Amino acid sequence: MSQDTKQTGVKRRDFLKVLGASSVAIATTACSEDAGHLIPYLVSPDQTVPGVSTYYSTTCRECSAACGIVAETRDGRAIKLEGNPEHPLNRGALCARGQSALQGLYNPDRLRSPMSKKGGVWTAITWDAAIAQLSAGLAANRPAAGGAVFINQHESGSFPHFLDAWLSGMGMPAHLSVDFEADSAAIEANRRSYGVSWPSLSFKDAKLIISFGADFLDGWGANVPQQLDFADARAKLDGAPRFVYIGPRRSLTGLNADEWIACKPGSELSIANALAGKGSVQQAGTDSGVDAAILQRLVTELGAAKPALVLSGVNGENALDVALAVAAINQASGAVGVTIKPAQPITAFDGMARTDQLLAAVERMRAGQVGIAFVRGTNPAYYLPGAAKFAEAFAKVPFKVSFSSQPDETTEMCDLVLPDLHSLESWGDAEPLRGTISLQQPVMDPVYPTNSTTLPAALGTADVLIQVAKKDAALAAKYTAADYRGWLIAGFSGGAQALAAALPKGIATGTLAPRVVAAAPTAPAKTTSIATTQGDFFLVTYASSLLGDGRGANKPWLQELPDPVTKICWSSWVEIHPETAQRLGVDRGDILEVKTANGTVRAPAFPYLGIHKDAIAIPFGQGHKASSKMAVFDPMHHDVNAVQWGYGRYARDLGINALDLVPVGTHAAGGFIWTATKASVTKTADHRVLPSTEGSARQHGRGIAQAVDAADLNKPAAGESESLPGDASHAFLPGLRAPVAADAQGELGSPTSADQGIKKGMYAPDDVRGMSKRRWAMTVDLARCTGCSACVTACNAENNIPTVGAFWQNATIFADARPGFNIERGREMNWIRLERYFEGNPDGKFGEDFETRFVPMMCQHCGNAPCEPVCPVYATYHAPDGLNVQVYNRCVGTRYCSNNCPYKVRYFNWFGYGETDRKQYAFPAPLHMQLNPDVTVRGKGVMEKCSFCVQRIREAENRAAAEHRELQPDEFTVACAQGCPSRAITFGDAADANWTVAQLASDKRAYHVFEELNTYTAVVYLKKVNHPAGGAAAPRA
Amino acid sequence: MTKRRKWTAIPGLIALAVGAVMLSAYSGASSSQHSSPVQPIAFPHPVHVQKLGMNCLYCHNAANKSMDPGLPAVSTCMGCHTMIGPDRPATDLGPKRKSAELEKLYKYANSASVGAGMGPNAKPIPWVRIHKVPEYVHFPHTRHVTAGVTCQTCHGQIQKMDRVYQFASLNMGWCVSCHVNGYSAKEGLEAAGYSPEQQGTPATPAAATVASGERKKARYDCANCHY
Repeated sequence: MSQDTKQTGVKRRDFLKVLGASSVAIATTACSEDAGHLIPYLVSPDQTVPGVSTYYSTTCRECSAACGIVAETRDGRAIKLEGNPEHPLNRGALCARGQSALQGLYNPDRLRSPMSKKGGVWTAITWDAAIAQLSAGLAANRPAAGGAVFINQHESGSFPHFLDAWLSGMGMPAHLSVDFEADSAAIEANRRSYGVSWPSLSFKDAKLIISFGADFLDGWGANVPQQLDFADARAKLDGAPRFVYIGPRRSLTGLNADEWIACKPGSELSIANALAGKGSVQQAGTDSGVDAAILQRLVTELGAAKPALVLSGVNGENALDVALAVAAINQASGAVGVTIKPAQPITAFDGMARTDQLLAAVERMRAGQVGIAFVRGTNPAYYLPGAAKFAEAFAKVPFKVSFSSQPDETTEMCDLVLPDLHSLESWGDAEPLRGTISLQQPVMDPVYPTNSTTLPAALGTADVLIQVAKKDAALAAKYTAADYRGWLIAGFSGGAQALAAALPKGIATGTLAPRVVAAAPTAPAKTTSIATTQGDFFLVTYASSLLGDGRGANKPWLQELPDPVTKICWSSWVEIHPETAQRLGVDRGDILEVKTANGTVRAPAFPYLGIHKDAIAIPFGQGHKASSKMAVFDPMHHDVNAVQWGYGRYARDLGINALDLVPVGTHAAGGFIWTATKASVTKTADHRVLPSTEGSARQHGRGIAQAVDAADLNKPAAGESESLPGDASHAFLPGLRAPVAADAQGELGSPTSADQGIKKGMYAPDDVRGMSKRRWAMTVDLARCTGCSACVTACNAENNIPTVGAFWQNATIFADARPGFNIERGREMNWIRLERYFEGNPDGKFGEDFETRFVPMMCQHCGNAPCEPVCPVYATYHAPDGLNVQVYNRCVGTRYCSNNCPYKVRYFNWFGYGETDRKQYAFPAPLHMQLNPDVTVRGKGVMEKCSFCVQRIREAENRAAAEHRELQPDEFTVACAQGCPSRAITFGDAADANWTVAQLASDKRAYHVFEELNTYTAVVYLKKVNHPAGGAAAPRA
Repeated sequence: MTKRRKWTAIPGLIALAVGAVMLSAYSGASSSQHSSPVQPIAFPHPVHVQKLGMNCLYCHNAANKSMDPGLPAVSTCMGCHTMIGPDRPATDLGPKRKSAELEKLYKYANSASVGAGMGPNAKPIPWVRIHKVPEYVHFPHTRHVTAGVTCQTCHGQIQKMDRVYQFASLNMGWCVSCHVNGYSAKEGLEAAGYSPEQQGTPATPAAATVASGERKKARYDCANCHY
């Protein structure tokens, strides 16, 4: 033995060699990593504390509504947007699109400097050169200035007036303020019937809500205030109004309806007339293909419901007629002044131009009457249908200037680009409600300053126009203010002092002069009637509730956010009724070829119960066209980057443009006709897996999303056992009975502990000793939740969640990699997801109604969490205050926890989304500036999940401790609850009865998902309340 | 013993070495404790704190308000040093001399002369960072300072350091040991150079607490710092 050891053993000399080598290795590790440098301020900015957020009130400009927002900034960078609670329009809520404004601000495809095109080649130029070029171009084309066209994305406030004054000073006509998403028919009908362009709507005062395709939760009108009010109406539970949706496609709004009446496109007018008593129910039934008995019941119901609220969002050729008929019903039912409030008008749509005016301008361009064209914030080359031949007409304009901050289809055709500042970098105002001025201020210095010695660092379009005017001999005297801020202050009543006083709240009282726009056309523009078009199906196109008219397409949050209805992301799709799909032999994901007289597109099929069997629907917003590349210096990376013209990296070559199929036509109110043609559908041999986060559309009896009929609300609940595990003295409220797992750290097992020897720890959930006094918990009111998914984006913004569906950052890793590839593989990464379940109509029959239930699903923070005992490295454990915690630096990525989670709320970092040197890096500069410094950016191979915004809990605790006080009830909330435009989510301490969450958790509708698994979740759902039609005629399954 | 057989032992030893490296990485031996980098300006903490009696919070003004302690802006230095230039007269701080460090400060501040203040081309001083915890650790200075933990408890007697070095290992075991065993106000005050009985200390805990040497414990579960 000893002989053996001696022979095979290592010689002392070799041993010492190895020892020396390992010592060197240890010494090398001991040399700590370079901790870097600490760069102080030169002069500390006033009122800022490093590491503490500063909040600025400003105005959201993502749609026309102009909600108030509060931008959280940390050390000079905006990191999160939240609704402004002081703002009368949105009262603290903010939709997904509003949240995503940050990704416009930090978009990696933003133009870094002005660009000029010479001989078809783009070159970056300085701001001084760009302004000189603009002035020279204006002077050269002055003779044709009378035919100039300025197309601006519609906004309310002072800027339209400023712009008109500048244009008239230059001898040019007033600008076209365009919002392609706005419903011109509803606006025109509102003007004629109520005298205002958009009255405030009061859903909670209605007895019955009927919507003719008015998608007031998808972006129709002023989305957030409507959703707030609708949720308030639904929260009246048994007193809530019943909601009937009439239209060929069940949108998100339609899915929130108690009843869907699927009519043929174009037949809404017959139904509206029947409801108004002006037409026969039989005729309406024949026209619409709806059972006349259902319509008769609706007529009776409407007669009894006073006041009702009837809305029209029809966008076919008879849109104005339907809108006017609906207004007449409202007037007859006494709704005006009660559910429709013209006295509190929403002025966001005042002064807006219509599509017919835009099309007329395009025709003037085609005729060679336009010498100068300006485009700002809008992209007509994308959203005007191919049939409008915009590009051909636009090319005839000799001098074309874009103020777009990102390359897009229209900008690509221009001669000069002066990238505008983002709304979060610039001054402005809006008038969202009559008498309320919503102020807009820069929340940070520009991401890309001008780098000019002669110009200010921040130069928006308005500032550029002032600079140009100052160079013009005739105009210089009128523009004394140095910049647009100065111009605003000069016009603000009370001047700079009053403005400074109003800015913290972000609102001021006052009224801006209304902007005059041309009267609506007397006759509809020439268009082919849908009845005469060829095809087997009505083609329903609609603006995506997330991407809008395409302007959201380059924001990865909005691409990654599954569509609230179809749960598809990073793709286009064709909705087709399951019955029709079966007839055509079409399966989910089969590529369909959709053909009209105007064009052909190919997109995957999505069989959807909520589409009329004679119609197909395609969302609008994708299908941006890519074009030539050009090199641009990237100051963030000190690198020359290829910038893609056409559209940004997140929307490039993604999906199809639905409006390629649609003919150009405007209806009697001058609005664009979206539903204008029939289409023929052919199944192709191709197939693709839809990038969808939907597991199953059905609950399979699992009771995840529970509902109760309004009539059953007050019936005594089935007896529930009160003898649940746990010490009775610590028994929680009925909705949250579960005790918290006892101290996991071993206070119980500690040798110095009084309970020495009792080593139950986390494995004894009924042992409440060692429990912290707090139990963080959440309630989700499903009666309020509309499934809009704003919470998902709020969570993405707060918690540094990477967008994993994005195409690899300019690199191909797998040959078949494409946008949404990771989602197809089930690698989605949203800590909170909106589950959407269909109830009823299990055979997918057309004409049988179905019910939809939405459930926001996030980590349930189980008291008895299945994920915890299976972790081999103790990376997930239970905190004494009830949180189920994921410790990233302990996690080794076994994924056992995810396998054992019954709620499937744990998400794995399959790639290095958070690591700058990886090709999959999800935050290319300057997107990384948005990252929340309070939350760790996770690395590859780490599990992550909802943390109940633990960073906000700690921040609030730290603040309370610094002020030497206890946390106050409802002192803070989590990101999803803060933004929710339905006010469905409530967060707080369930162990303290003073918190709202503790009160809500004891509601009689409360339930836990999978309560039978004894997980003792901290999330309490309140059942949805249904309002089935009274009487036996109810078509519910 | 063949040569081949002898060398088969080497992979085993390499594995041993790797193991040793791993162990050292987790043992605390890899900490940057005691590191004392050369700073762009040899800022004398002893002069400012001990001789002039300046409070830590005068310069590190966010330590009681924020996660970050805050670093003095160049303008904070120049608040006094606009008038206190490189030419030092003889005072109780030393004989008449020319201060090379203040010349460096004037260079960074782009200050032409005494009384001129900061110039237009001032540049921030690129201090070399000493104390750093990993990104997945959230250390709130405010929580510790407002609880009365003296700066010296973690940073050592900075007031006596001619060149600042990393006093504590900043490893997790070091953090947790204090959270488990508790912080003694008495020891903390003594480290800061105060006698426990002295009044008017930066954070004055109840005299009884100090006298008793009672240790204040804190939560130490993972999510306290890791999120």
